[in-house]
Amino acid sequence: MMDDNTRKRMPSVLQIMLLAVNTIAVSGISGFIYITTMLIRSRYEARAFLNTVSALPHDPKRKFMLSLILMAILVLSFIIRAVSYMRHERLVLFTLLLDAVVSAAAIWNLDFNYNGLILLVFADVIGYVKEGKTRLLLTILAIVSYLLTSYQIISVYTPLYHLDDFIQYYPAGARQYAYIGITLLNSMGIILFVLYCIYLISAQRSQIDEVNRLNHELQSANEQLKEYADVSESMAKTRERNRLAREIHDTLGHTLTGLAAGIDACIATIDTSPELTRKQLSILADVSRDGLKEVRRSVSELQPDSLARLSLEVAIRKMITDMSSVSNVQIFFESDIKNLRFDSDEENAIYRVVQESVTNAIRHGHAKKIWIMMNQKDGVLELRVKDNGIGCTEIVNGFGTRHMRERIEMLGGSLVFEGQNGFTVIAMIPIRWGETYD
Amino acid sequence: MKAFRTRKSNMITGVLLCLILFAAGASARAVQAEGKDTVLEVGLFAGSNWDVANANSFVIIDKAIARFEEDHPGVKVHYYSGIRKEDYSEWLSRKLLSGDEPDLFVVLDSDFNLFCSLGILQDLEELIQKDDSFEREQYFSTALKSGEYHGVQYALPYETVPVLMFVNKTLLDREGIEMPGEDWTWDDLYDICSRVSRDTDGDQKLDQYGVCNYGWKDACYANGAALFAENGSAAYLTNPEVSEALRFLRRLEGLSQGDLVTQEDYNHGNVAFMPLNFAEYRTYKTYPYKIKKYDNFEWDCLTMPAGYSGGNISRIDSLVIGISRFSKEKNLAWEFLKLLTYDQDIQTDIFRYSQGASVLRPVTQSEEMEMILLQDMEKGDTVISGELLGTVIENGHTESHFGQYIQAMSMADSRITEIIEGNNLIDTELKILQREIDSILGS
Repeated sequence: MMDDNTRKRMPSVLQIMLLAVNTIAVSGISGFIYITTMLIRSRYEARAFLNTVSALPHDPKRKFMLSLILMAILVLSFIIRAVSYMRHERLVLFTLLLDAVVSAAAIWNLDFNYNGLILLVFADVIGYVKEGKTRLLLTILAIVSYLLTSYQIISVYTPLYHLDDFIQYYPAGARQYAYIGITLLNSMGIILFVLYCIYLISAQRSQIDEVNRLNHELQSANEQLKEYADVSESMAKTRERNRLAREIHDTLGHTLTGLAAGIDACIATIDTSPELTRKQLSILADVSRDGLKEVRRSVSELQPDSLARLSLEVAIRKMITDMSSVSNVQIFFESDIKNLRFDSDEENAIYRVVQESVTNAIRHGHAKKIWIMMNQKDGVLELRVKDNGIGCTEIVNGFGTRHMRERIEMLGGSLVFEGQNGFTVIAMIPIRWGETYD
Repeated sequence: MKAFRTRKSNMITGVLLCLILFAAGASARAVQAEGKDTVLEVGLFAGSNWDVANANSFVIIDKAIARFEEDHPGVKVHYYSGIRKEDYSEWLSRKLLSGDEPDLFVVLDSDFNLFCSLGILQDLEELIQKDDSFEREQYFSTALKSGEYHGVQYALPYETVPVLMFVNKTLLDREGIEMPGEDWTWDDLYDICSRVSRDTDGDQKLDQYGVCNYGWKDACYANGAALFAENGSAAYLTNPEVSEALRFLRRLEGLSQGDLVTQEDYNHGNVAFMPLNFAEYRTYKTYPYKIKKYDNFEWDCLTMPAGYSGGNISRIDSLVIGISRFSKEKNLAWEFLKLLTYDQDIQTDIFRYSQGASVLRPVTQSEEMEMILLQDMEKGDTVISGELLGTVIENGHTESHFGQYIQAMSMADSRITEIIEGNNLIDTELKILQREIDSILGS
């Protein structure tokens, strides 16, 4: 098999060869006719020569010059196309059109004595067109027009000068070479065109194979990824369980063990030495506070990233900017509570409700504007997340909403949804105002 | 960015190149159009088309050019003056090969069919249609036909020359024979010839003859025979008109009892009839040629005698002028062609300065023509009447010069002369000849 690089270069090599063969043929034929007329003139055999021809090329010198100019334009247009391929669609189209016109002029100029230019033009056009059916159509068109514009057919309808008449002027020996040259050029043109078509077809087929192969690979990679995801999820679960177990064992276990032992000691000493017991109990209280701190630390490690690092307000604002920046939604946040600092489980719940509501508003409500409002009423925090989305008449409890509800109910609060005028989530959370630890 | 720039410059170069090419072409045209006079090139040869001496070769064309250039300011007409008739065909062919042929040019008989088939000559039909001042009827139809190929007018006749029968009036008077009329026949010819063919000085040898130079072709045309198909595809030598003509000739030649009668005998006044073409007549009758050519006898001219199946038909030759299909100045060329062939002034000059006859009926049949001819005559000579000349031209036979014409004709010429002189059956011999000539034509 050819390597990729050769394959990519192949069409242009074939096209260059085709162009070269055509250039040689066109300029060669018109040059040959010009030189032959000069020779006949110099030998004063013009009248006798006229008897042997079927028609005359008028002004062979001009025809020769015109051939050279037309071929130069073809070469130039080929270069332009090669340089600007895939970049200037219009320029390429223009050069192809130019090629067609110039080739027609060149064939006309040669009185159909050579029409291989048709194959050259069609080769360029077929190479440019990507669609398989159009290609086939163009190929057929190329062959048909090549056959129809042959000298033998056109000369039936209109008198055309014949290259053969000029070859016949020479002695038999020289004639052989001329015929060999012409036959070679003609068949080279056809062979190169056929090769080019075969190349294009095979290139197209291998392209299809390549796409199929890649598609297959992508699919299996996708499946593998899914497996990996499952595995890593269960691994993460296990790891998290282990960590929780360790934490519980290290902190709560340690503290509770100490407390149990201390309380046992207190029970033993409470009758004999109440003083000592009180001391001992205050130590135990310290220990239990320390333990509580430890527990809090553990919990904080389980908190969402933003909340662990930031205060609730900053975390919410950050979420708002993140969301606004990724979706085209305006989110407004207002709160009449001075200091938005609560216990971490409360903060956690509030944050989750806000996050879930905003997500729902964007995903399901297709909202463009979302309002987040918090206020305090009789020690109860009222959290409202309202949007201008499509709303819904019947609320289906999904995982997200159920989760929210659970979180709020765990804190002794309640959660209400309203589906008219957009969608509103109202959470009432009894906050433990006084018990804030610092 | 750099790559983009090269692409862009490539595109610009391409567009510029195209523009330059267009500009160059356009400006070349513009310079040609503005800078210089338009030059109309004319191709013609020196001397006469009928191989008679002609001292005034270029008088008519010079006069026509002067008039044309006066009527068309900014136009110059040019011709090469040094080309002899025998070199003309090669000269023109070389010009045609390199594509710098004149805008309009004289076409020889032997070139006309070939040039038409090669598509060298402009089809004149359209130009004729467009030109309201042009009427084909002004021309003798036979002369006009010389410029026709496959029914299309490719050239216009400029000058025409019919064959006439010259009669030695003095000899006929001496023998007490009346001048035959214009509608005389082979029987009249044979009758007169048999009466005049005799020994006058008593040496038992014939010294006075009936006719000389009356060829087989003259006889065939007079008998209404066409020798070849117009496109040269076949010979018609086995037609009954041909064999009838040859039988008559054999009979006629029998009268001279095997003596070879030549023009010399006619010049000495010993022959009653001799066909001569009009150009020869003009030079024959006029100073200085007549002095050295003929002894003192009076003579006149007549139509050719009618054959049994034909009429008073004689061969006519016309010189035609065509326009190059590639001429850039076709309308000017047409105007000049019309001036040469259609203008009555210029055509009258043909009688003054050339040896042929005008191709225009009104000119050839005019009294002015007779006056011009009279100026060349001596007292006692009969001037050929315009009426007669017109009739002869109008009834003439024009031979189509197809590709192998010369070959076929020279073969027929030599073989038919043998046949007439020999004793073999004419029909059989003609059949053999026909086959041979057809094989030449077919090849």
